[in-house]
Amino acid sequence: MRLAYYPGCVAQESGRELDLATRWVCRSLGIELVEFPRFSCCGSGFVDEANETLNVAINARNLAIAEGAGLDLMTVCSTCQGMLTLAKIRLQDPAVRAKVDAVLRPMGIDYRGTSKVTHLLRVLVEDVGLEAIRAKVRRPLAGIKVGAFYGCHLLRPSDELQWESPEEPHAFEDLLAALGAEPVMYRGRVLCCGFPIQFVKPETAGRIAGRQILDAKDHGAEAMATPCPLCHISLDAYQAPAEKLVGRSLDMPIFHLPQLVGLALGANPDELGLARHLVPTDAVVAKLAPASR
Amino acid sequence: MPDAAVPVPLEVYRFAPGVDAAPTYRRYDLALTPHTPVLTALLKVRAELDPTLALRYSCRSAICGSCAMRINGKSRLACETPVGPELERHGRVVVEPMANQPVLRDLVVDQAPFWQEYERIEPHLKLDPRHPMPEGRPNPMTPAEVERFHDTPRCIACAACYSACPAVAADPAFPGPMALAKLYRFVVDPRDAARQDRLVRIQTEGLWLCLRCHLCTEACPKDVRPSERIRDLKEMAIAAQGPTEPGSRHAVGFASNVRERGTLQEAKLVRQTFGVLGMLPQVPQGIRIWRKKPEVTRRPGPIEGLDELERIYAAFEPKDGR
Repeated sequence: MRLAYYPGCVAQESGRELDLATRWVCRSLGIELVEFPRFSCCGSGFVDEANETLNVAINARNLAIAEGAGLDLMTVCSTCQGMLTLAKIRLQDPAVRAKVDAVLRPMGIDYRGTSKVTHLLRVLVEDVGLEAIRAKVRRPLAGIKVGAFYGCHLLRPSDELQWESPEEPHAFEDLLAALGAEPVMYRGRVLCCGFPIQFVKPETAGRIAGRQILDAKDHGAEAMATPCPLCHISLDAYQAPAEKLVGRSLDMPIFHLPQLVGLALGANPDELGLARHLVPTDAVVAKLAPASR
Repeated sequence: MPDAAVPVPLEVYRFAPGVDAAPTYRRYDLALTPHTPVLTALLKVRAELDPTLALRYSCRSAICGSCAMRINGKSRLACETPVGPELERHGRVVVEPMANQPVLRDLVVDQAPFWQEYERIEPHLKLDPRHPMPEGRPNPMTPAEVERFHDTPRCIACAACYSACPAVAADPAFPGPMALAKLYRFVVDPRDAARQDRLVRIQTEGLWLCLRCHLCTEACPKDVRPSERIRDLKEMAIAAQGPTEPGSRHAVGFASNVRERGTLQEAKLVRQTFGVLGMLPQVPQGIRIWRKKPEVTRRPGPIEGLDELERIYAAFEPKDGR
């Protein structure tokens, strides 16, 4: 399988451990990631707030880059996936399409809408398949209770994304179960991490993040996992302030999705950048048996 | 032939503040056809099993907006939620009062905070005295002007969005999706003379606390799509006044930040949003993050083809007088 790899800004900088783990997992599953240094930022929802048409246009350019190579585009970020998908939907409006084409075409950029936008989680569950992944598990995450945290933009608006039920999704939990972990069901798994207002009103964002972590904890989770590096920033990098805001100890290790897959497939913690987290993941890793050959 | 009745385990939140020590969930076992609305099930409970159950309802036709409640966790109208699909997904039907509003009794909440937010946005036309209504007929609008309302006039003020909203739950300064969708409706009304004032005011009155999580859009029984109209308000507020608040500075700063290198310069964005002095409270946690992730202060990029991105930005940047 060959895919245009759209890592997004955070996975290339402060969230490099996500990129590291993605590459490890894709290598081990035989997914070829094709890189494009021409990709720009997706706008992360903020450019969309400032200027909707600009946001659609920069993502039309990103999509055209993947289309030019005849590849579907894979993100590792719920938000990038959401923004790129949203652009595709907005571009179905002939008026928007005409405005964007008028700027892109003279530069030789021809958006056609032929590449699918997908996310690593979907690739693993739908394209690789849970059976194939289960067959490759060398270190089952046995006995680890993990709360999946989806991130808004993989699920909503559900009528536009056309994926799983926004209320009762199960792809992430299915994957965790295939890795041998014990998925924890809790309401907060489909709610917001607070990230969009982390830099608008940090105390409100922190309360929201803290509530979701507490919800997972109260339902028995000893770790959480997310397919979105922005959720990871809220839940891991800003967990200490969130803890103060909700007034309870959280102490919740937060894994990027491919880090847990990597651990189960036999990667060692260094290969997955686990030491880069603010909340230590050691206690969870220590519970795992050594990888079998 | 009518559908056969199936067993419906209904678990209903019961609480009388000041009387009961804590809320309880009472289970009622009913036999209903799968297409029976949850509201009908609750009325059956009240008529046949427990006359003390308190709930609010009126039209039973998804018009009045009275019977919003949480059904298996999701805020929605009980009158248009059949029990069948709920049973298929959850094996039971758990009914709770709406969130983010104090419980008066059982499924009835005090909607005062919700209506206060509605009043605060002044939900009435402020006609321009220089352009009075033409005598004897309503002020006409063109079809294009009407289209700008999107589906906001369909709002029935049921408060399902308010109940579903995590920003409302976390911060009383956020007006909630319904009030903002209503505000949008007046901002785009060509007859309204207060557009500029409305946009300037809302910038400091909670607009930028929206998380764009789209939970309101999922909850809305009338497809008003509040999260999308709130996005529109944000762009219009920036156009009206420029980036004056942390939220608008963050959005505008993000766009200009990415314009420079084609990719995000993380630490620089924090400075752009809060300003040098404003970012001081962020510094201690920033240092903790930097120790683990030193790339936050790096200047990444530029991407290849940055000139193309620049041309896109130049083509779509707001023109003067917009």
